[in-house]
Amino acid sequence: MKKLNHKGYYFIAPFFAIFLVFNIYPVLLTFYYTFTRYEGYGKPEFIGLENYTRILTDGYFLEAFINTWKIWGLNFALQLGIALFLAALFSDLRYRIKGIGFFRAVFYLPNLITISSVAILFNIMLDWQHGSINMFLMKIGLISDPINWLNEPATAQISVALILTWMWFGYTFIVLMAGVSGIPGELYEAALIDGANRWQTFVHITLPLLKPIMLYVMITSLIGGLQLFDLPMLITDGLGAPEGSLNTMVLYLYNQAFRYNNYGYAATIAYALFLITVLFSVVTFRSMYRTNAKKEG
Amino acid sequence: MKKRLSWSLLLTLIMGIALLAGCSDSGSASGDGEKEDDDVLKVWSFTDELKEPIKTFEEKNGVKVELTIVPIADYPTKLKPVLESGVGAPDVFTGEVAFLKQWTDRDYWENLSQEPYNADELEGDYIDYVYDLGKDSEGNVKALSWQTTPGGIFYKRSIAKEVLGTDDPGQLGEMMSSWDGLFEVGEQLKAEGYRLFPDEGAIRWFAKGEDPEPWVNEDDELVMTDAKLNYFDHAKKLREKDYTAFAPEWSPSWNASMSGPIAYNGGWEEVDEDAAASDKTEVFSYALPTWGLHSVLKPNAEDTSGDWGVTTGPVPYFWGGTWIGIYSGSEKKDLAWDFVKMMTHDEEFLTDWAKETGDVLSYKPVNEKIKDEFSEPFLNGQNNYTFFLDQAKKIEPGIVTKYDQQLDTLLGGQVIEYVDGKKTKEEAIEEFYKQVKNAYPEIKTP
Repeated sequence: MKKLNHKGYYFIAPFFAIFLVFNIYPVLLTFYYTFTRYEGYGKPEFIGLENYTRILTDGYFLEAFINTWKIWGLNFALQLGIALFLAALFSDLRYRIKGIGFFRAVFYLPNLITISSVAILFNIMLDWQHGSINMFLMKIGLISDPINWLNEPATAQISVALILTWMWFGYTFIVLMAGVSGIPGELYEAALIDGANRWQTFVHITLPLLKPIMLYVMITSLIGGLQLFDLPMLITDGLGAPEGSLNTMVLYLYNQAFRYNNYGYAATIAYALFLITVLFSVVTFRSMYRTNAKKEG
Repeated sequence: MKKRLSWSLLLTLIMGIALLAGCSDSGSASGDGEKEDDDVLKVWSFTDELKEPIKTFEEKNGVKVELTIVPIADYPTKLKPVLESGVGAPDVFTGEVAFLKQWTDRDYWENLSQEPYNADELEGDYIDYVYDLGKDSEGNVKALSWQTTPGGIFYKRSIAKEVLGTDDPGQLGEMMSSWDGLFEVGEQLKAEGYRLFPDEGAIRWFAKGEDPEPWVNEDDELVMTDAKLNYFDHAKKLREKDYTAFAPEWSPSWNASMSGPIAYNGGWEEVDEDAAASDKTEVFSYALPTWGLHSVLKPNAEDTSGDWGVTTGPVPYFWGGTWIGIYSGSEKKDLAWDFVKMMTHDEEFLTDWAKETGDVLSYKPVNEKIKDEFSEPFLNGQNNYTFFLDQAKKIEPGIVTKYDQQLDTLLGGQVIEYVDGKKTKEEAIEEFYKQVKNAYPEIKTP
């Protein structure tokens, strides 16, 4: 048997120490809380599976689940669509658009603004009486009456989805562009010579070769999207108004824990959220992987 | 490339050093901290209003006070773990009425009824409801407050004179002393193109104060009084009769409405383009408490200073308020008590405080001396101090529960949905009960 130097463990020990204290321990403690009723003070009271039966019959949680999906779904479709379109446009040999670095920076800028500023900004812009968005739409004659964006469930959800799209399409665009620049230029040149039009080039070259990158974008966006919290929290009353339409899963978790002091139930929501995220990540990964495998085989 | 690399390296180094320096800083603080900490009194609060008093206290006592301000939205969340664990806990901390009752029954605040504080002896010196709110369920005083925050209705004098024929607070208070009276005034204002209130939420305090009972009784039952049920109808009436201007509290329209006419188009779904742009109205009055004058009206209505007055609504109410107490695990309780004493019953300090800030005090001995000296230019010389003291006296003590803040919010949300026509009254009430059950499974709803 070869004698190994154990000193290496000392070097990785700090990471594991921190990981144990700040990651593993809270995760396990949270798991323990799921079996308790805990107000945040004193001792947690053990109540068995009560929190789990509650979450399975909780209409508000179901509503939060659906809301989260609606907002994320619309946002993701738009975000990916815009980013794909821009990626195709900027990678097109026929256009040779100059100053891609500049555009990349401009598209990415919204992502640098802190979410609370974004929320305040849009809250003022979406105000139905004095908001610039309504005024603009009325000036150009698109609408004749001001729309109370944040007072109707549908428009509120759409507004939030659009703001998220605005914030994130630049990021997705940059990631996709990185993927596009990884595609060998010869393929495009060959396609050009073969007389393929833009649509054909996009569908038969760009899209298939972007699949791994799109999978990455999809899964990271999904995980981020299921944790949607800050914007819905800040843009209306923090309770999910109007009519609970902005009540997302994490917002619900937050309110249960920090507004109503139901730490045990909030811990259960956290675990449910974890399971949901894992489940959908696996489903996404599998479906993407399977179509890939089919093509190769 | 090389240059850039070295720059980034340098930056990393600087950050690394800063980080290390930061670590060693706090390290040394905790190392020889005992000596250092000895004369530093730690105070936590959620506003900066204690800054000046702390200066005074430092000068008087030759000690150092360290004030930590945590924004109110995070205040309970940040304070709780610190108080639970005792690590890095303050010696003195304040509590807002929104979470005050959650804390009085815990061991966070020192029991001030016992020796050497004997706060019970002070009972008669404070306005009843203020003193009462600082007590736990067994009657021990946990926190005291220097202020009282009753509310009234602030109105624009020029409009009152034009429409109602008088701007006298007494006469106007008489007119608005009942719901019918309030609606009558609303009708007259509407005829002249004005709106009684910015929005329907303005009447929530009157609805709550009309039939003073705790939200949740001793058996954990939700108490839905008739007054609270009527709140739905009153709010709906305000909207339907166009007595309000679609300017909810804290919204941009609300702020704008204080300084002049705002865009308004009742039932905006059926108004045509031209009318929407031209239809403007002015809001007559706002239900605000003592602090509303200084932190809401004055900054928003500079131009109309002097055109305001304050009068009574259908019932007295209070809104907000800050209490202060000593952390039970503090090692500097004597010094902490000195600070609380100064804040809550030091005549010299409180006199200066009231005169400087306009804050209405809850400490009667000082009030008796100074109350008649006040004359507020913003309110055309009216003495708002005596006005609010009269209101404070009428507030029923002992009805605030730890649930109030959240239950009020939930109820208000449902009232607005009913007013907006999204739900029937029955559906809204049903939803309210469901939400209460969801938030507080221990509460029994009707």
